[in-house]
Amino acid sequence: MFSITKRILAQIMNDKRSLAILFVAPILIFTLLYFILGDSGYIPKITVYNVSESVLTGLEKSAVVEVTDSLPELKEYVKTQGQDAIIWADQEGMHIYMLDRNSKTSKVLKAFQDINSSSIHISYEYATNDDNQLDSLSFVFLGVISFFFVFILSGMSFVRERTNQTLERMLMAPIRRSTVIGGYTFGYGILSAMQSVVIFLFSVYVLKLHVQGSYILCALIMIIMSLAAVSVGALMSIFANNELQLVQFIPIVLIPQIFFSGLIPLDTIPYGLGNLCYFAPIYYGCTALQKVVIYGEGIEIIYPWILGLLTMIGILFILNTFLLKKYRRL
Amino acid sequence: MHLTLPFLQTVKRYCFQPVCGEMYNVKFIFTSTLWAGFLHSNEKGADAQEWGVFMRIEIREIAKKYKNNVVLEDISLTVESGKIYCLLGASGSGKTTLLRIIMGAISAEKGQVLIDGIKMPNKQMLAQIGFMPQEDALYSELSILQNMKFFAGIQNLKKEEIEKSAEGLLQVVGLLSEKNKLVSNCSGGMKKRASLVTTMIHKPKILILDEPTVGIDPVLRRKIWAYLHSLRDNGTTIIVTTHAMDEVTECDNAALLRNGKIIIADSVVNLLKKTENGKIEDLFFVDTKEESVCFQ
Repeated sequence: MFSITKRILAQIMNDKRSLAILFVAPILIFTLLYFILGDSGYIPKITVYNVSESVLTGLEKSAVVEVTDSLPELKEYVKTQGQDAIIWADQEGMHIYMLDRNSKTSKVLKAFQDINSSSIHISYEYATNDDNQLDSLSFVFLGVISFFFVFILSGMSFVRERTNQTLERMLMAPIRRSTVIGGYTFGYGILSAMQSVVIFLFSVYVLKLHVQGSYILCALIMIIMSLAAVSVGALMSIFANNELQLVQFIPIVLIPQIFFSGLIPLDTIPYGLGNLCYFAPIYYGCTALQKVVIYGEGIEIIYPWILGLLTMIGILFILNTFLLKKYRRL
Repeated sequence: MHLTLPFLQTVKRYCFQPVCGEMYNVKFIFTSTLWAGFLHSNEKGADAQEWGVFMRIEIREIAKKYKNNVVLEDISLTVESGKIYCLLGASGSGKTTLLRIIMGAISAEKGQVLIDGIKMPNKQMLAQIGFMPQEDALYSELSILQNMKFFAGIQNLKKEEIEKSAEGLLQVVGLLSEKNKLVSNCSGGMKKRASLVTTMIHKPKILILDEPTVGIDPVLRRKIWAYLHSLRDNGTTIIVTTHAMDEVTECDNAALLRNGKIIIADSVVNLLKKTENGKIEDLFFVDTKEESVCFQ
């Protein structure tokens, strides 16, 4: 088993590009997410007409406000003047006109909300007011990204083993099928564990990601999850005849799992489709991560999900070992 | 006259090859000597007893279908120990399938394979077989030596043992100085040689080689055959597939396959007698009106 593990590590060491994909690519994506979802500091531009003095001063706290003395043609004005919104009052009440829903217009609404900020107090149990969108969704990204890269890498290398006939050569040695799968899972397990640790340390210490619970527990969940990714990769590669087919499997395997990662509350999914989550390794991993990162729970709360993940790895291991029979009858 | 003719042929074959030139002949004789020396050292080694055993392969009434497509039909043949057996046939005639059945990689609908009286597939027996797939079957991100070490490692060989055989084998195929080169940077011929020595790293008693000389230049091809002959002379049983007619003469026995059936199987000497002008391809047209059988 260790010769296979050793070989996988040696292969990766000699293949600088894969090494970069494994470590640099997730960091780049995380950095990008940080800038996209993090606080951009954008100040909205609002045009007001016929509003009270208190609203005007309230808006001016968090927006650039321009006052007009007649209500312009709305669509034309917002489009040509580069304003984010027009706010006006008449006998019906206050009106806010915006072109569409996006991050700029949500800033307008935030500014509008802030007019009365002295009398409204918002507090969250599991978040601070400084938390941005990245903080509240971090568990999804941590889980999905570490799953994604390991899944591709292990799946591809297994397909290549078959197309290059190295798998055939390997199985013509008196080696056990379980040893082959075990060596694979362990070899890529080491790589993905290193990857998980790198991503995690980078997001916590460089991007200052807010993590409520234990760091070690988080890293542990990510490592177990990437082991599942190796097993899923190996399973898919058995059904794929070449690299192209494996690439086609990526969306089929990954996209439904992302829905179960906690992005959408499962109980809102109709026809009991939410129960499909029990087949998705990402569900177990991301839920456990959510409980640690956001709610700050310990092992005593999250152990069912970790057990679920370990069971999944066990089942996949047995299934892969069995399916390898396709290549050797013993 | 009859006595001197084979001798003259040998001299002509090895010393007056227009392609190779003088330099090559010196190198050839040198490497052959090395190869013999390597085998000799094996024989004298700790596992001399193991090497003394000769393995006979019996294939009995094998039949194989893929869905409704008959790939092999009633194949029976015996490969005597210490002989080179050639499976000759066009692409798609079922050669590779037969090899896979012999090793137990795939199952046959009917029939059985016995090696040394033991029914295949058998895991212990796999340790005695060296299999070279048609593709080079090496890890391109690893060096030649790393590849050899890996495949030796899964055979549970000891580290010192691996080092010793690897050095010896690499020297024989002239890859010793290139041993740390990544396979992805190797030429086609180098990969083929590396694949061949990787097959032999655990000193198997049976060698199963799937088209070992395809895409190899004539110089290297002759070298490879010389290695195989010296291995055979030391008791290794070898099965080779090929679709190159001229290579049959390098083997002891041959079976001609067409559409999954054996057309004819005999010793090469007898096969040559059956032809009018000593051309093996004539045998392919025996009992058939098909003239469209194509060979590369």
